[in-house]
Amino acid sequence: MSNFYITIIHRPEMVPEYIQREAEQGQKEDLARNSVLQESLDIFRTQQQIAHDNNLRTTIQMTYASLFNQEAISVAKEHHEKYGDEIGSTFLGLQCQEFRDRFKSRELAIWLFSMDDKRRIVDEVFRKFQEVFGFYPTSTGSYYMDAELINYIKEKYPMIKVAIATCWEEGPKAYWNANNSWYTLMDGGPWNPWIPSRCNIHCPASDENDDIGIVAIPHLSRDLLAVFDGPGSYYGTHPQNILRGMVYEDREIPYFKNIVDQYRSMAKYNHGYAYNMMFVGPGWMSKNGRWEADYDFLIKSYQDGMAYYGRLKQEDKAIDVTMSQFADIYRQDRPYTRPECTLWKDILYGSKRQQFWYADPWMRFCLDMNQGGAMIDLRPYAAKLVRPCGVGTKYVQDASYPFLVQSLYRAGYFTHYAGEGAVKSCKIGYKGEEIDLCVCRTIASFSENGDTRIVTLDPVTIEFSQFSLQVQSIIRITEGTGEVEIIRRIVDTDDPTADITIDEYITACYGTTEYPEDLTGTQLTLRGAGRSESIDYAYQCREATVENIRLAEALVPQANTRLSMRTNIKDAAGYFREGFAFSPMYTIGIRKTVTGKGELRTWLKIEKAS
Amino acid sequence: MAQGQKGKLNYRCPRCLMREVDMDMLYDREADEYYCLRCSFTGDEQEVLRLNAQFREKYRDRMRRITEF
Repeated sequence: MSNFYITIIHRPEMVPEYIQREAEQGQKEDLARNSVLQESLDIFRTQQQIAHDNNLRTTIQMTYASLFNQEAISVAKEHHEKYGDEIGSTFLGLQCQEFRDRFKSRELAIWLFSMDDKRRIVDEVFRKFQEVFGFYPTSTGSYYMDAELINYIKEKYPMIKVAIATCWEEGPKAYWNANNSWYTLMDGGPWNPWIPSRCNIHCPASDENDDIGIVAIPHLSRDLLAVFDGPGSYYGTHPQNILRGMVYEDREIPYFKNIVDQYRSMAKYNHGYAYNMMFVGPGWMSKNGRWEADYDFLIKSYQDGMAYYGRLKQEDKAIDVTMSQFADIYRQDRPYTRPECTLWKDILYGSKRQQFWYADPWMRFCLDMNQGGAMIDLRPYAAKLVRPCGVGTKYVQDASYPFLVQSLYRAGYFTHYAGEGAVKSCKIGYKGEEIDLCVCRTIASFSENGDTRIVTLDPVTIEFSQFSLQVQSIIRITEGTGEVEIIRRIVDTDDPTADITIDEYITACYGTTEYPEDLTGTQLTLRGAGRSESIDYAYQCREATVENIRLAEALVPQANTRLSMRTNIKDAAGYFREGFAFSPMYTIGIRKTVTGKGELRTWLKIEKAS
Repeated sequence: MAQGQKGKLNYRCPRCLMREVDMDMLYDREADEYYCLRCSFTGDEQEVLRLNAQFREKYRDRMRRITEF
């Protein structure tokens, strides 16, 4: 029996950006414009009614502005009594005349204020909430909640148990999608709920000491393949996002149900547990229409989505819970070391492409079966990087968690004639010929053996000029180790006498955006049985090889990360390759020669450097 | 020339959409055409709808209900 939990969240946002913009055409800003307030409230009521018509309870996240509106307050109280909806608080929708008068700011993003302002705003929002309702909320959220903000909230308001804490992969792609005007630069977090680290909200906590004290949920449940290479606001459990992405025809959106069902299927990768959330602000359902869709279609898409959740509930295939209820349930069965994993398949473009996503307290990574299981994204969670954001910090708007590999931001396998892109893969060589598994499409299956999650890829055929062979890749992750075991096995060959080289490598870097970062100071080291080699990265194209390798390592101070590869055999060679300014990557690898069949087994490890 | 204004349903520029940039267009009543401030696209509503349909073609499974995972 698997449990599929859904949380539906509504917010009475009194001055939604899109409706406000519409109302402002040719007029001056007026935060108290009655037509905007009334339309927003009407939409909020409509959303609530659609949920209740489908027998679904909601979490009403009161915006600061709505705490001054008697109608919004009355609706919240009434629906709490009648339907069991939770009344929570959100830091979205801060802007209103009262906020403007008190804080003298037009800033709308809580994570981008200075830390002093964050504290003042938290205190005021919760004070007002308590004044209105007579209790403090237990759920909160925004598009992003940095660890410093949550740490403060937990210190002052320990009753908070859950927060909407990130938008999955809303980083440079979302910024670009919004004509470089939408500052949700927050790539690198988990796609499903997690217990965050005190150090960085993106990282799952390692243990009780590292536990920030809340359960975090992402804003929306997103298409893990489409959003990795596209705007987050096109492909997720947000019907109007799907309209924005134009994934429909004749006013029908089967894609929404496909996303929900794929999320339901995650139960088989996660011990019977799966999760979904829907969180649509009233601005998305403007009566003037939006995203080439008229109001009727906006409403229909919401009704259809909610009806599907309602049907799943009716068929005992879904459990609707409020945010705080979900947090309690989640904590009942969630050891810190348990990973979240998903073998996601394409449900949009008509390919058979699969990507395997994995997140635990040590790392997040993605394997692409279209590239022979290559690792195309790697985030070093073990480093638990403290990266405050907002005014007065070093990074200001850049709230993303750094990557060591992000193949789309750093070219990946395909580059032009110069240099190489960031990816972890394997090359198979024979007498001067070399084939990268990145060019071998395949599909994968998932299994578990005790505490080990296993991704087994179908063998691929490597065609050399004189003969062919078959290589199978198996990726194993044993819970609590912080290591990824990678097996490359030649399972068949036309020439059992041929000497074949298996070369497992990772080409990596450091960064949070498409643009390169300075790698000066990165240290590349090879430790062999007999000798060691080490250099400090300086863009000088240096290379080294050490026989009988024990460890190949990159120490990346910019990400406070030690990235290493090891093997369990004595006769393998390790190497590193320094990049240059036009191709600023570093590569570490381990290679071995086998005759006929054989395998190379390596372990990739992510550790905190200091 | 006439002042540009928001058009019907806030049409986005279909050419910018092809590169996944959401760019609302302005509408010129005199010329009965939409135009983009970013990429220089101009076209009437039919042209916008034609290109939007083209944009959707990349989603080959947009009308397929998938239930096996």
